[in-house]
Amino acid sequence: MEAAASDRRGAAGALALPLKTAGLVLLLLSAVVLGTGLGSVNVPPGEVLGALWRGVTGQALAGNDVIVWQIRLPRVVMGVLVGASLSVCGGAFQGVFRNPLADPYLLGVASGSALGATIAIVAGWPRTLIPVTALLLALAAVTGTLALAREGRRFPPNRLILAGVVVGSVLSAATTALILRGEDRARQVLAYTLGDLGFSGWPDVLTVLPYAALGGGALLLLARALDTLQLGELTARSLGVPVERLRLITVVAASVATAGAVAYVGVIGFVGLIVPHVVRLMFGPGHRTLLPLSALLGGALLVYADLLARTTPLSQVGIVTTLLGGPFFLWLLRRQVSE
Amino acid sequence: MNRTFLTAALTGFLTLSGASAATTYPLTLKDDLGRTVTVKAEPKRIVSMLPSTTETLCAIAACEKLVGVDAYSDYPQQVTKLPKMGGLYDPNVEAIIAQKPDLVLVSQYGKLEGPLTQAGITVVAVNPETYDEVFSKTLTLGRVVNREAQARALVTRMKSDIARVEILTRNVVRKPTAYLEIDPTPYSIGPNSFMGVLLTKAGARNIIPASMGDFPKVDPEFIVKANPQLILGVDAKTAGARPGWNSIGALKTGRVVSIPDDLNTMLGRPGPRLPQALRGLAKLIHPELFK
Repeated sequence: MEAAASDRRGAAGALALPLKTAGLVLLLLSAVVLGTGLGSVNVPPGEVLGALWRGVTGQALAGNDVIVWQIRLPRVVMGVLVGASLSVCGGAFQGVFRNPLADPYLLGVASGSALGATIAIVAGWPRTLIPVTALLLALAAVTGTLALAREGRRFPPNRLILAGVVVGSVLSAATTALILRGEDRARQVLAYTLGDLGFSGWPDVLTVLPYAALGGGALLLLARALDTLQLGELTARSLGVPVERLRLITVVAASVATAGAVAYVGVIGFVGLIVPHVVRLMFGPGHRTLLPLSALLGGALLVYADLLARTTPLSQVGIVTTLLGGPFFLWLLRRQVSE
Repeated sequence: MNRTFLTAALTGFLTLSGASAATTYPLTLKDDLGRTVTVKAEPKRIVSMLPSTTETLCAIAACEKLVGVDAYSDYPQQVTKLPKMGGLYDPNVEAIIAQKPDLVLVSQYGKLEGPLTQAGITVVAVNPETYDEVFSKTLTLGRVVNREAQARALVTRMKSDIARVEILTRNVVRKPTAYLEIDPTPYSIGPNSFMGVLLTKAGARNIIPASMGDFPKVDPEFIVKANPQLILGVDAKTAGARPGWNSIGALKTGRVVSIPDDLNTMLGRPGPRLPQALRGLAKLIHPELFK
């Protein structure tokens, strides 16, 4: 981040790209290292490395090993997966809708999963069922949005966005009604709707991984088509891009990745909206760099945000991303303007 | 009796305002919202919007004054027949006004005092939040509804009941370190919260330090590190499924106890059933004392 800030007048120099990519990779690595090393319990670096070694080789865990290997590392990996998923989806949505304000929750995934989680929480079902209902309703919400937005075989962007807003509002209202019914569990629901990485273990990570890999991977493959689409719908069509199908595949792939990201950790705001813009400002708008670099930066940022959440009274990663993301983004925009 | 009274005096001091038996009206007091309120005459038609307030009124012989309660007031039995006025966040203001109350007792949360005051109804906010406030607010309620003597008797009785449990738990040789979960996010309780005081009095050592606050959200790794010998408020299956928790002493020895619903309700209510809540908690922590 510092390196990028001190880099004068370098919007997207061709030579600077590998350097900056390396910078982002380093940023992600440092996030993983610090995220695993730091926390409310102090574990010396040597012990952290030992714990990782014993974890990987399957030896018996002793002392702080459990904290490092079974609590912190899966939490960090979950942060990387979720941050990367949200950022890639945000970038893809902004590209496919040609709308800078698009974010992964545009089509009602967040309100769907929040409703699903709330149903499970208020009904008092076991925690393992929360992500299941969240996932189901997230996918149901997107299906509803697509059905509402359809015009014959087309999905016009404006109708999709409007349908997403409507579906989101209806589901949010239902969630609120449920929260009022089960007041004593309101705190748990609130925690979910603010996004929280607490209690992420290896099984959760393994559950989210296929969603992130499938959805995110599909989006990365669409990067070139998304680039063509930026020339305008007509141009893209005449260049042989199946625009309707591209839109549909993007929406489905992004919904799969977002639903997986949201299922366990809830609705983490701002990351999916902001990260692609930061990458665009630093590296230019081409989707073939935008999407993978967004994944790197998003993963790193979310791990850092969660580290702050764990070690300060800010308490939840979603609060951190929103509180710090907004001002940071404004600062970045102002800097661009003044240059 | 005398000795229990002395122990009671040790656990928390109680200010006895003059020995007047009856309240003189109009009564002016500062309520828990910091408002200065005047109660013109002895209230005859009261609406209580807080379960603990409902319980206190009934425990000081003012139950027959109630003409409406909030949706969560469910004790004692007779209040379940009263008209329900909605909850803290979705109160039914029209239903409250329709009961023509001369006093509505609210909590400091929610937004009831505005519309009700505008409707010309006397509103007093009373909600005990600390252990000591459970007793002081009971006396305040007694003064407001002209049941001062009963309120004082109730406080004395509560303190002696509490002392009876404390005599058992105070000299226990082994006080387990304990983690009490009030919400699976997870939230726990600090030692200075009123539930935290009960946990300590019930003969456990709270793993949450006072510096974390009264109702802190806890980092799961902190709980694993603290390695409590007893976990309350979670069922064993849930606890075992959490990453890294199988290494906690309480799980190895099988001392993970979920709190029964009725006890949970009592624990969350700073009202007259506080001694019962303490007894229930002590039974969970030290079953051997209650054989």
